[in-house]
Amino acid sequence: MDGVESRISPVGFDREYSRRNFLKTAAIAGAAAAAGAGGLAFAARPAFAVHEGYQAVGDVGIFQLAYKLELLEGTFYDIGVSSGLFAGNDLAQIAAIRDHEFAHADAIASTLTAAGAEVPATPDFILPDDATADAATFLGYAATFEPVGIGAYQGAAPALTDKNLLASAISIHNAECQHRCAINILQGVVPPNNVAFETALPLEDVLAAVAPFGVTA
Amino acid sequence: MEKHTINLPSVEEFARPRTRSNFLKALAASAVGAVAGTALLTGRAEASSHGGAAASGGGGDLDIANFALTLEYLEAEFYALALQSGVLVEPALSYVAATSDHENQHVNALIELITGAGGTPVAKPEFTFPAGAFDTQESIVTLAATFEPVGVGAYLGAAPMISDPAVLAAAGSIAGVEGEHVVAFNNLTGVVPPANTTFPAALTKDEVLAAVAPFLGMGSMMDTGGEKPAAGARSEKKY
Repeated sequence: MDGVESRISPVGFDREYSRRNFLKTAAIAGAAAAAGAGGLAFAARPAFAVHEGYQAVGDVGIFQLAYKLELLEGTFYDIGVSSGLFAGNDLAQIAAIRDHEFAHADAIASTLTAAGAEVPATPDFILPDDATADAATFLGYAATFEPVGIGAYQGAAPALTDKNLLASAISIHNAECQHRCAINILQGVVPPNNVAFETALPLEDVLAAVAPFGVTA
Repeated sequence: MEKHTINLPSVEEFARPRTRSNFLKALAASAVGAVAGTALLTGRAEASSHGGAAASGGGGDLDIANFALTLEYLEAEFYALALQSGVLVEPALSYVAATSDHENQHVNALIELITGAGGTPVAKPEFTFPAGAFDTQESIVTLAATFEPVGVGAYLGAAPMISDPAVLAAAGSIAGVEGEHVVAFNNLTGVVPPANTTFPAALTKDEVLAAVAPFLGMGSMMDTGGEKPAAGARSEKKY
């Protein structure tokens, strides 16, 4: 595959070089995040381990998991839209995010089908009983979902061997980052753009985070 | 390298057929995806034809990182001047202060990344901004809202051409933050809803250059169709 070739690049990055750079990047991101906003439980981990975990799953496995994550998010936001907790501009944002998540799921499903791979069945999602207890509780869950999606795409991106999949994944990753900021706005966080670097998550952390919601690999 | 020197990677580096088609494909996919998401991800069968920028020769990752550094320098200077203007009031002031801090951190991270890979970071160019750019909060926020999607598009367009996982990881991390900036400034400019893009769009290198040329002092030249730099002079323009 071209991905293997491209990691052995002619411009002087051998594998050891890559590993050192990765550690450096992780250190930079970790230090930056430590100096800024919180939520750095994972930033101290070596970044190379993040994408290597996804490599074992492969392109198809990564997109199959992403499909389930997008459906989980879309389902969650759909409940928010119909909850009656939001109105006006807030409702418009929640509905837009829901539409984005389902569009991501549809696009991923088409990709899997085009690749001759199986589109996973929709999991039986387990959403918290208090998800729509009030707007603040709902947004609190949203604020925990989005960084998981961000971390999953960001961690998986360097593991994708197919450059078209990478282009798609990095675009969806960006949409999820935009959602994170939008949820901050809904929560009244000022400024809502409050991280200097987005954080990648190892696969096992993503799986641990979504397991309570009925999503498995 | 002396100050006030622009050292942009040559456009030709990014215009090789394979690379260019990849870039255009990403752009087209994003544009189509916004209308019908299912079209976005269906290029798998052609993937083996892409070798990435580095695989097709040239400076590859280092050129991309230096190009990103130039963009981050531009953003950092813009927000620094915005903070110095004294016209910002809350909450815009907090938004701009945070964004300024982020762009400075991106500059430092890219310099470390480039240096660590044995490359030479480009010097900070001298930028020009439109007259009155920092006279009002509205002008600042509006300009910011035009910068940020360019930053996102540049990173998204470059990502598939990056060969080193470390560089790609950094690009993805920074691109996401630029995406957050888009939403933040959308909010300040009254866009509803502020997060309004299903598939943020990649930009070609040419498109990014066209967008930032006015701030690099090349705008008037392009507008008048006047004298172009001689071959070989493109990468070093002094002021």
